[in-house]
Amino acid sequence: MQQLIPAFGFGLITASILAIAAVGFTLQFSVTNILNLAYGDIMTACAFAAYLANHAGVNIWISLVVGALFGAVFSMLLNRLVYFGFVRRGTRLFGMIIVTIAVSLIIQNLLLAIFRPTFFTYEASQGPSYQLGSMVFTASQLAIMGIAVVAMVCVHLLLTQTQLGKAMRATATNPGLARSCGIPTDQVIDAAWLVSGALCGIAGVALVLNTATFSETTGAAFLVPIIASAVLGGIGQPYGAMLGALTIGIAGETAAALMSPAYKDVVAFVILIVVLLVRPQGILSEIAAAKEVAA
Amino acid sequence: MTDAMQFYISTLLIYLFIDIMGVLGLNLQFGVAGIINFAYIVFVGVGAYTAAVVSLGPDYPGNFQHYMFGASWPFPLPILAGGVAAGLLSLVVGVISLRRLRSDYQAMVMLVLSLIATLVASNATGLVNGPAGLATIPQPLYDQLGLNPLEYQWVYAGWCLFLTVLVFLFVRAITRSPLGRTLRAMRDNERAASAVGKNVTLLRLVIFVVGGVIAGISGAVFAEFIQAWSPGSWLYPETFVFLAAVLVGGAANNWGVILGTLLVPVGFLEATRFLPPIFYQGFIEAMQWVCVGLLILLFLWFRPNGIFPEKPGRFKPRATAQSRPAE
Repeated sequence: MQQLIPAFGFGLITASILAIAAVGFTLQFSVTNILNLAYGDIMTACAFAAYLANHAGVNIWISLVVGALFGAVFSMLLNRLVYFGFVRRGTRLFGMIIVTIAVSLIIQNLLLAIFRPTFFTYEASQGPSYQLGSMVFTASQLAIMGIAVVAMVCVHLLLTQTQLGKAMRATATNPGLARSCGIPTDQVIDAAWLVSGALCGIAGVALVLNTATFSETTGAAFLVPIIASAVLGGIGQPYGAMLGALTIGIAGETAAALMSPAYKDVVAFVILIVVLLVRPQGILSEIAAAKEVAA
Repeated sequence: MTDAMQFYISTLLIYLFIDIMGVLGLNLQFGVAGIINFAYIVFVGVGAYTAAVVSLGPDYPGNFQHYMFGASWPFPLPILAGGVAAGLLSLVVGVISLRRLRSDYQAMVMLVLSLIATLVASNATGLVNGPAGLATIPQPLYDQLGLNPLEYQWVYAGWCLFLTVLVFLFVRAITRSPLGRTLRAMRDNERAASAVGKNVTLLRLVIFVVGGVIAGISGAVFAEFIQAWSPGSWLYPETFVFLAAVLVGGAANNWGVILGTLLVPVGFLEATRFLPPIFYQGFIEAMQWVCVGLLILLFLWFRPNGIFPEKPGRFKPRATAQSRPAE
């Protein structure tokens, strides 16, 4: 029990980062029907963008905004210049996944070639520690959790209260029908990549803030729990991804405390396998079912 | 020819033959049957590990490396064991992941599998010696043949050529058989194939296992040649070198993918070995991976069917009012 409560605390932090990342990942899938396997590497690229800003003397929290902006613009351009081109040429779904993985290889190794194979750290203090029961959080960890909560509330408000959010949901459910109702789906898709890219950037910088050091493979290594969270919640469902992130984050850290830290991802993988066997469309399944991910 | 040159050429030939075997197996899964197996290299890895542990002899306390199922089986049992082990793993993985999931969803699961397999092999040190991997794997029949190292190289190259020809004939037999036609039908239009009574799930599973066995054999032959095998030898991007070879050569065309193997894993990755080291250690390797990614993108964009596209069927479909282009 004494190990489990601090593990729960770590789980909450991991879940916060995971939630931001998984919601972005799942949003890309729901609006554009692309499973973007380069997502983890874009997170790393954003972490490097924030690193450059940070080492140019900018405060870490402003660097986080830089990372988010970079992620937004980069993701939108990636879709406009690469992914959308292939979609328009009629590349099939399994072709698209090869395209995304090729992009992932390119981004990861370009980062390696530019920044060299070493580990990097931000110049930021973790701030004072706070004791909550038997859980200890640093100020920056509390800030990460706060950012996650704010981001989730913003996504919720965007999707339910704004015209853009409603257009996104319409495009996700039926792009053809959305277009014939007068929704400019191309712009909506651009907006979806901007929003999800910003989430990707925030997640990338928050991940590095929490792990202290990072290299060119940091984001890619985080892809397994992201995918597991998104699939557990029902791929394409932002609320499902939040739920999935909470489950995977806490389960992973508990397993790390009980067994070995290396088995964090194995827990995510086991959950992924069980979900695929029992309910491949995930907990909240409307969009996954509509897109026929599993029959 | 100097001995060093002969050594280099024979090694290159051995790599070429083994890579062709691996690529033919992937082509069967991806090109012919349309299964995207992003975890292909895992099955190569399992074959290699299996061949290693059944030829290294029983593990003992105080050994510098630790592993499971140690035995010293005679040639050619380790290679067969590698194929069987990879086939069994394919069966398990196939049953779980090849259900009626969308193709890209399946591929994503395979990628996750590949990442997790590396993690488990690196961390479960008792299994196959963790991140350090296995070393001093005996070369088959080295003592019995009594050849000098150079002669042995050429014999081994001949042995690889023999196996590659066997695999090629086997794969070609499958692609030309009614089974091959069914697989291509399934790849091009799954619903139509199941509508005419083909058990799509079973067919996929069969070809997934066959491809897995080929992968396992190629891994076993490779590990027995280089005498060492570790998680670093089968990281997930390696699958994409094979996939690039298939896409460049021409998916579902067995001669095409042999050309692809000559060009990508052997030609391209070997040729750049002779570049002088620039900037820093590791820069060229990083740029090689960038080029593999670009190669995949460029071929998918400009020549999605590869250099040698798949040959159209010998029987032209009769044009009818109902005939529609494939989905």
